[in-house]
Amino acid sequence: MMTATTTATSAAAHPVAEGVVDWAEKRYLLVDDFVGIRQLLRESLRNLGAKHIDQAASGGEAMVLLAKTRYDVVLCDYNLGDGKNGQQVLEEARVRNLMLPSSVWLMVSAEKSVESVMGAAEHQPDAYIIKPITEGVLLTRLNRVWHRKQVFSEIDQAFADKDYLRAAKLCEEQIAHHPLHAIDLLRMKAVLLLKSGDPDQAGAVYEKVLEERDYNWARCGLAKIRMANGELESARLMFQAVIADNRFYIDAFDQLAQSFLLQGKTEEAFDVLGKAAKLSPNSVPRQRALGQTALKLGNIPVAEKAFRKCIEMGEFSVMKTVDAYLGLARVCGQKNDVKEAIRLLNAAVHQFGGDQVELRAKITEGLVYHESGDYRRARKSGDELELMLSDEHKQRPDAATCLDMATLLFSVGVKEAPIGLLCYVTRNNHDNVPLLEDIQKIFDRARMGEEGVALIKASRQEAADMMNKGVLLWKTGKLMEAVEWMRVARKALPHNMRILFNSAQILISWLQQTGYVRGLADEAIGVLMHVDAIAPGQPRFAQLMEQLALLAPVSGVAAAAAASEYEAANGAIPGTGAD
Amino acid sequence: MDEEEAQRHEGSPELFLFLASTVHDMKNSISVLSGTLENLLAAPAPESTPSPEYGQMAQMLYQTKRLNDNLIQLLALYKEVGKPGYPFDPMPRSVRELVEQASGQARILLQSRGIALDIDFPPDAIWTLDEDLIIGVLVHAINNAIRYTRDRIRLSVRIDGDYLELRVEDNGTGFPPAMLEAGVSAMDAKRTNVDFISNSSGLGLYFSSEVAKMHRHRQRSGGIALENGGALGGGCFVLRLP
Repeated sequence: MMTATTTATSAAAHPVAEGVVDWAEKRYLLVDDFVGIRQLLRESLRNLGAKHIDQAASGGEAMVLLAKTRYDVVLCDYNLGDGKNGQQVLEEARVRNLMLPSSVWLMVSAEKSVESVMGAAEHQPDAYIIKPITEGVLLTRLNRVWHRKQVFSEIDQAFADKDYLRAAKLCEEQIAHHPLHAIDLLRMKAVLLLKSGDPDQAGAVYEKVLEERDYNWARCGLAKIRMANGELESARLMFQAVIADNRFYIDAFDQLAQSFLLQGKTEEAFDVLGKAAKLSPNSVPRQRALGQTALKLGNIPVAEKAFRKCIEMGEFSVMKTVDAYLGLARVCGQKNDVKEAIRLLNAAVHQFGGDQVELRAKITEGLVYHESGDYRRARKSGDELELMLSDEHKQRPDAATCLDMATLLFSVGVKEAPIGLLCYVTRNNHDNVPLLEDIQKIFDRARMGEEGVALIKASRQEAADMMNKGVLLWKTGKLMEAVEWMRVARKALPHNMRILFNSAQILISWLQQTGYVRGLADEAIGVLMHVDAIAPGQPRFAQLMEQLALLAPVSGVAAAAAASEYEAANGAIPGTGAD
Repeated sequence: MDEEEAQRHEGSPELFLFLASTVHDMKNSISVLSGTLENLLAAPAPESTPSPEYGQMAQMLYQTKRLNDNLIQLLALYKEVGKPGYPFDPMPRSVRELVEQASGQARILLQSRGIALDIDFPPDAIWTLDEDLIIGVLVHAINNAIRYTRDRIRLSVRIDGDYLELRVEDNGTGFPPAMLEAGVSAMDAKRTNVDFISNSSGLGLYFSSEVAKMHRHRQRSGGIALENGGALGGGCFVLRLP
């Protein structure tokens, strides 16, 4: 037992935590729309010795300052009056990379915040503080966040390098040393195991946590694994149990809706998404899901409201999405307001730009014309689409968009372009049986069933041949030729997962034999980053990344550099944030 | 509290949004008021300049803290603390940090009124709790003890079997019988609604008992009790968490 006595006469000393941090030399940003609060907080920070303190009265002002200076500590009120709220400032600062990994973000609110326990926001602050803020609480929370960042720094680095297996091992090592963070470390470990494609181990971690206490995130984590495993009914019951226990656990709503969608119960999913959107309407992905589900059910008023909300939120948020514009255009088309639909599509192309958006806007345009019975204009959109696709150098969109596109093109009477698209998707997914079945159905509906069978067979064979040739060269020890051949194969089939993995595997074998060569290692990392972007959470990805990390003379650095190069060239890799 | 919650209050979302922004403003005002008073009170050493203003400011700070306590509790009640809708967030926390924060909030107020604070806790203990709520309960108990103490308050924490026991004790003449009864009825399982006794202690006890009961672990739940005696011979507020 430690006994400490403070009396009224003793010198006013701040409680000192172990591992003391020098808070005097840090750069601070205070964001609050009330000048009195800013003065008060500035006074408190000065009492901690702080010298560099900037202030912002609005989200907009905060963004200007954040773009100029890398702050060590940001104290931001959640409620900032008109314009961006604190969460939107945080999201934009993180997405635009305006914060250092070591920076601390404290979100201030007038009372216990719902956001802190929702479990869904992708970008969480490091801590929440309730007003009135006293120096003692501020210092304790700053020290706590700083200490937590120390514990997690190596893990976060390995995470950023996508060396998930090493990061998971680091979590395990830290648990013994830091009992206070044990639960957090286990939570991170489960996320990492999932990312490395090992749901069984991740599930075991969640079960272990649940033996200690009924944490909702662990229950949801376990249910998500069940859902991915196809145990939809059992997952549904678990999500519903979490909601019964905590009506604010919004992540459970979103997942429950997903489990209904997978069961083909669109009505039920719609109902749950509606409830979730009522509880927490300020989420772009949630409103998008609601809008798309409503559109599927033909519930035009709800779809319209959801897509409009999405667009409205996008005004102040970096999370804005072109999907809302495309969805709303479909809604307008179904309301026979073709003019407004076309205006929205033009706005989407204007605001978001890029080949992919232009393609998707054109498909939607064709659909709107087709659904409104204007077959002449629909055909014209189809022809324009075909022209856009004729440029072989342009990257094709994701498989789902390609299938939509092919469906539309067939329905407006175009033949060559959709066949090309479907063969392209087949070559790139030659062993994805459910997808190939969907492709066959599109051929069937276009009354090209038999041709389709032959085309799919030929495309699959083409992909298999390319892959087998590379593997044969590799197995017979002609590594150099195998590497060369896989480059050709990658160029021909840029989205074929098997080819991408084999290509990386062959590069790594080459490095293992000849020793580390920076250029080849970067090539392998580039390939792996690409495959992780199109299909995250593959076990082979984690294994190959770990093998590469072991080969590198300096841990992490090479991978991080290649990853950021990849992101610069291709946009941010989706799903890199912690769950 | 914002637009999101306004949506839940379907009856009158406008009124709810208005209330939310009023709460936001009130919190800001109270923050500035108590912050300014604390800065003023912390500046001079109390013994060397025993000015009458000092005592008045100390009284103002005490009243401001009570105002804040009551506002927190009213809000928690309004948002149905104890119900599944309340944003309850238990996490493993360091007992040292909990005590640090609770005592830090009361430090200047106690100092200004010449009341000593004894602290006693196991420094390495970790317990799973909702930190903001528990700090709220402890600070309220300390502010309440100020009314009953002579010149000393003791905040102590210890692990007692499967429970964490937190005590706020004073060296006054003890709680009056009505207060002790209110403490018992706050934990009465058959109680259907708040038994508001004449002063604000009823609200505080109700809030504390709801917070205690929200903390559940393996069929055990937390509780509060009021006693007389304890280490300092006066009133004792006891909070037990599983």
